[in-house]
Amino acid sequence: MRPHMSEKADVWQGTLALMVLKTLETLGPLHGYGIARRIEQTSANHLAVNYGTLYPALVKLEQEGYIDSEWGVSDNNRKAKFYRLTRAGRKQLQKEARDWERTTEILARFLAPKERTS
Amino acid sequence: MRRLRAWGLRLGASFARTLHERDMAAELESHLQLHVDDNIRAGMSPAEARRQALLALGGIEATKERYRDRRGLPFVDSLRQDVAYALRALRKNPSFSAVAVVTLALGIGANTAIFSVVNAVLLRPLPFADPSRLVMVFATEPSRNNQYDVTSYPTFLDWQAQNRSFESIAAFTNRTLIVGVGSEFVYTRGKAVSPNVFDVVGVAPALGRTFRDFQPGGPDVVVLSDGFWRRAFGARPDVVGQTVRVDDRPHTIVGVMPPQFHLEGDYEQFYEPLAVETSRGHGYLRVAARLRPGVTIQQAYADMSAIADRLARTYPRQLAGAGVNLVPLSAALAKDVRFGLLTMLGVVALVLLIACANVAGLMLARGAARQRELAVRAALGAGRARIVRQLLTESAVLALVGGALGLVTAAWCARALTATVSEQFIVPRLADTRTDFAVLTFTLLISLATGAVFGAAPAVAASSPDLIDALRDGAHGASGVRAPRLRRGLVVLETALALVLLAGAGTLLKTLLALRATHPGFETANVIKADVLLPLPKYAAFTDRVRFYDTAQQRVRALPGVRSAAFVSDLPLSGGVDTLGFHIVGKPDPAPGKFFSSGFNMASAGYFATLGIPVMAGRELDENDRPGTPPVIVINETAARTYWPGESPLGHQITMPGPNNTSTTLTVVGVTGDVHHVGLGVPPRSEMYLSNLQAPLLWPWSSVVVKTHGDPAALADTLKAALRGVDPTVAVQRINTLADVVSLSIVEPRVYTLLLGTFAALAVLLAAIGLYGLVAYGVSQRTHELGVRMALGATRLEIVRLVLREGLWLVMGGAVLGLAGAFATTRVLVGLVKGSRANDPLTFAAVTAVLLVAGLVASYLPARRAARVDPITALRVE
Repeated sequence: MRPHMSEKADVWQGTLALMVLKTLETLGPLHGYGIARRIEQTSANHLAVNYGTLYPALVKLEQEGYIDSEWGVSDNNRKAKFYRLTRAGRKQLQKEARDWERTTEILARFLAPKERTS
Repeated sequence: MRRLRAWGLRLGASFARTLHERDMAAELESHLQLHVDDNIRAGMSPAEARRQALLALGGIEATKERYRDRRGLPFVDSLRQDVAYALRALRKNPSFSAVAVVTLALGIGANTAIFSVVNAVLLRPLPFADPSRLVMVFATEPSRNNQYDVTSYPTFLDWQAQNRSFESIAAFTNRTLIVGVGSEFVYTRGKAVSPNVFDVVGVAPALGRTFRDFQPGGPDVVVLSDGFWRRAFGARPDVVGQTVRVDDRPHTIVGVMPPQFHLEGDYEQFYEPLAVETSRGHGYLRVAARLRPGVTIQQAYADMSAIADRLARTYPRQLAGAGVNLVPLSAALAKDVRFGLLTMLGVVALVLLIACANVAGLMLARGAARQRELAVRAALGAGRARIVRQLLTESAVLALVGGALGLVTAAWCARALTATVSEQFIVPRLADTRTDFAVLTFTLLISLATGAVFGAAPAVAASSPDLIDALRDGAHGASGVRAPRLRRGLVVLETALALVLLAGAGTLLKTLLALRATHPGFETANVIKADVLLPLPKYAAFTDRVRFYDTAQQRVRALPGVRSAAFVSDLPLSGGVDTLGFHIVGKPDPAPGKFFSSGFNMASAGYFATLGIPVMAGRELDENDRPGTPPVIVINETAARTYWPGESPLGHQITMPGPNNTSTTLTVVGVTGDVHHVGLGVPPRSEMYLSNLQAPLLWPWSSVVVKTHGDPAALADTLKAALRGVDPTVAVQRINTLADVVSLSIVEPRVYTLLLGTFAALAVLLAAIGLYGLVAYGVSQRTHELGVRMALGATRLEIVRLVLREGLWLVMGGAVLGLAGAFATTRVLVGLVKGSRANDPLTFAAVTAVLLVAGLVASYLPARRAARVDPITALRVE
């Protein structure tokens, strides 16, 4: 996970959903563009969200009932569709965050000795 | 759960596309705007800002596509597209679509119609509790090879007492009696049943009770059918406890059965308790039983066989050799029509196969014409599987449209079919035929299967075109080589199948024509008949019956337009057949304790003259044969030949057992011509006629036959009024001309011949259309070649011959194949009509000729067009 500056890492499947949920938890209702920008900023621009992949992910989350959507007006007076975390989404976020932490922990432990021998 | 919810939403989204499409476009537009605003704020020019935003989005159309894939279900989306495309393609080519849809509608409709009858008669569960445990227990009569014989009351009681296999067992028999309906007395079909029969089948009455606590010798009670209750009592709920006159005696109504209830599917109207009867020799009962849980029909059979053996040993005189036969109730009800129905199902399956071949041929022709379109699609990246799927979708759409139309046709046909089958050809549960869920499912499945069958070959043939060739050369697609060979094969197959059906229909038709040409032995012109039934208790005394017949005959003879009138107990060809035993005075019995036997009829004076039956020797029954004068008998030629071979029977005597160990001695006074009594296809049997005024037998029913000067049908109302004028409690029914009686007697062969003939005609028509299509296609493909030939001096006749030859080769190929098939199958089809002979060479020759003529016509039409081709135009086609 050390991306070259000019060639940002793509967000891989599965983690994007987690990031979307976390973003909505932190910032409250937000439109698709805002979510994408927030993810990029949080990753300190290490991640490039292909905005095109964001929308199918949003639709999927909405179909699964983790988020809601509603048309509203943005800060600079543009009409935009705002997404909001549902109660089920909040629960899902906790579960996925826990899973993710466990995965990274295992992976870290797995990778650590290798570093020592090298 | 979540996944399921998502699936539901996606499926929904697949069908609400415009809504979602608009929402998606708006959202992406808003996304771009927000991004552009940001970019401008960061100092870009508006154009550059938009360019960058679009780049980040990864192309708006590609994003939309990914969006759509997730929003809906890609599979459903593409199916929708294919269906929409298919409908467009079908609309664009209306003549092709019309021919294909009508062909399929006929094929699927025929199948649906026959299936809906099969469903009602064979498949639908009986309206009883746990019907799988119900069996019919028949007696068997090895000497007459009868596996479905009736049994006697004492034997039924023994079965009931001794069996260990049945939870319950009940007997019943038909009782057609006079029931008062309003002011009229109607001869009504009912059943006399042992009191527990409703418990055996497990059906409770809709109103009141049944006979559960009935004691023999108790008051007269009756249970009504739902239909009778509605008709005679307007469905009044207070009917229980009221009385109804049955055989002119008041019976108390104790209950009404629920709608659709019938014991054997022949729509009886009432039930009365079975009377006790002591004669073990008198078989008249049918027996139904409910197996104990866990007892198989085989175990029950073993149990009952042992009982039957014991009874046969105990009563050798009446029961020698008698056994039992257990049949599941549902199978027993349908046993007479099962073969016919399943055969018809096979026949319509063949018709559908022909329809499939035909539509496949049409699709192949269209596929060739669409070669270019498909090649373009392939060149644009459509995979082979995708193209096959699209073509199969088209087939399925075509088949479903055809199926929907077929369903309508079928409902109409099934109604016509059940109406054609008259009272004389009682098919259990036939009137229950309707389009229910099973029929709908059948039609849907058969439509889809049909689509797959006729769509498969064309789809595969069209999906792998030689791309380069097709694109380069368009109209003259190289596929011309492959598809026509397949199409030729299909046409040969269709023709062969059509010939198989035609041969079957021809065979039945020959038998039917022979039946119709059979002289019944009596004259039908200007004769009308009516069934007359006397209420028994009122006419129990012989003198009362004599008075009725005397008065009635006088009154009817006095009606205007009447030439002569007479009564007879069993009119020929009407279903009534009575056989009695007799001794011949001065001749030994056939075996000690045995009788001679013959058909017996009671006729009045003038019967033979009225029906035009010739008197060969002696005289016919006349006015002087009355109670008190010496009893006489008239016999037919077969009887004379059988019992008095080589001598005149006139003056000889027979004795006939009467009630209470009495016997009557009768003198033969006349010999008359033979009459087909049982059926036109059954050789005349020995018949004897005694005077209805001298017959000591209790015989409440008879028919009156009237010969008129003018149209016999016009007499119907006057005749009925005259008879009811003698006694209004007498039932007068089934008034018909004698010509109708004869034609009704062959209703069963006629129905089967009509059905098979219709399907065969349909098959030939479809095959001819297929052949026509193929030959016409060939002509259109060869316009150029034909033009060259004509330019080089070929005459029109030669061109016609050239085209005809091509068509006729195919028909001949089909005929050879079809004849082979016919030899194998008419053997089965002749089972539909008794007396048919399989593989009759003359019939086969005739039907082959019919097929060849049809083929000739189908090929001549395009041939004539080919001959009219103007060579100049033809050459310019290039």
